[in-house]
Amino acid sequence: MLRNVEDARDVAQTTFLKAFEHLADYDETRKFYSWLYRIALNESLDTLGARKPFDPISGDEEDKTPGPEQRAEGDQLSRAIDEALARIKPEYRAVITLRHFMHLSYQDMGEILMLPEKTVKSRLYEARQLLREDLLLRGAT
Amino acid sequence: MANPGQLVLINAEIDGDLDAAQRAELARTLLADPKARELRDDLRRLCQTLDAVPLVDPPPGLQESILAAMPQMAPPLRRLGDRPAGVTRRYAPAITVWRYAALLAGLLIAGGVMFELVRSPALEPSELAGTIALDPAATLVDSAQIARGPVSGRVSLYRDRAALTLRFEVTASTPIDARVSSEGHILQILAVTRGGGTVSDGGTPGMPAAAALPGVAMHGQDITVTFISDGRRVGSATLRAPAGR
Repeated sequence: MLRNVEDARDVAQTTFLKAFEHLADYDETRKFYSWLYRIALNESLDTLGARKPFDPISGDEEDKTPGPEQRAEGDQLSRAIDEALARIKPEYRAVITLRHFMHLSYQDMGEILMLPEKTVKSRLYEARQLLREDLLLRGAT
Repeated sequence: MANPGQLVLINAEIDGDLDAAQRAELARTLLADPKARELRDDLRRLCQTLDAVPLVDPPPGLQESILAAMPQMAPPLRRLGDRPAGVTRRYAPAITVWRYAALLAGLLIAGGVMFELVRSPALEPSELAGTIALDPAATLVDSAQIARGPVSGRVSLYRDRAALTLRFEVTASTPIDARVSSEGHILQILAVTRGGGTVSDGGTPGMPAAAALPGVAMHGQDITVTFISDGRRVGSATLRAPAGR
């Protein structure tokens, strides 16, 4: 989501400390991890929003020279997708993260994003389409 | 360019949300429109690749540093007297204890969310499980064939009275671990096969490895199994949990 190890570390720490601080506000009728993910997501978006418009991504995770095993076609696509994800808006990256990396249901995603399921679906469909268009544009599919 | 109706159908198919009538409609669309077929193939490949991205665990020391910071903060005492509607006072302390336990569990389980896609050479699983013998009374729920890449064979999901169990009948030339994720619950199973091109024998020699999935829900959700060799993803499979206990 953040594509920067130090930012991710800070957000993780802030998330759990905020969760601890606001534990009394947690609504037991909701899933705990949805609440926690929502805090994490909001913190991530705040962090991304605070970055300068052209803040470079940390060199830790960008453009490492691929080893021989990374040259396989599947890995090339993974890498291209990874880079495409960095170029789409955080709102789209968030739905991709929740759906494809955390394997959450639309209901859970709606709770986390505080959006109706229908909106979550259409945003995810748009995000997939944007990724595809980005990959096509760069000849990466 | 696909029309919005096609996009919805294709995406719903990827998510496994199509009913029979919609499947038939999509089949007709794909037959008639090569562009729609291309779109569907691209999106399916994209989503399969996304689904197979392994979670990366938090860097060493992060969990400890967060846990160490917590007691130094003022505890949320000002709200401890507030009770949810319908909850009597005598239950409030138990709920508070549960909240703290849930937070700590969340810290262990959900810690990976911020770190995915950030490459890390080390894999330190949030929860570890060893392999066990499969309960003979367990019933098969779902299974998937793994045919490509360095891992091949079959992974099957079983259900017994208490929980779900994964059974691995896989071969590989190198030792393989498996990472299981379902709705934010992440479990790493060590040595589902020890390599050498033989069927996995993580438990009893000659017997396929099996691993229980404590805490994994049963309400029809997807369970993703990612195979890892030497810190790298080498294959994956998605299984569907049974709906309802």
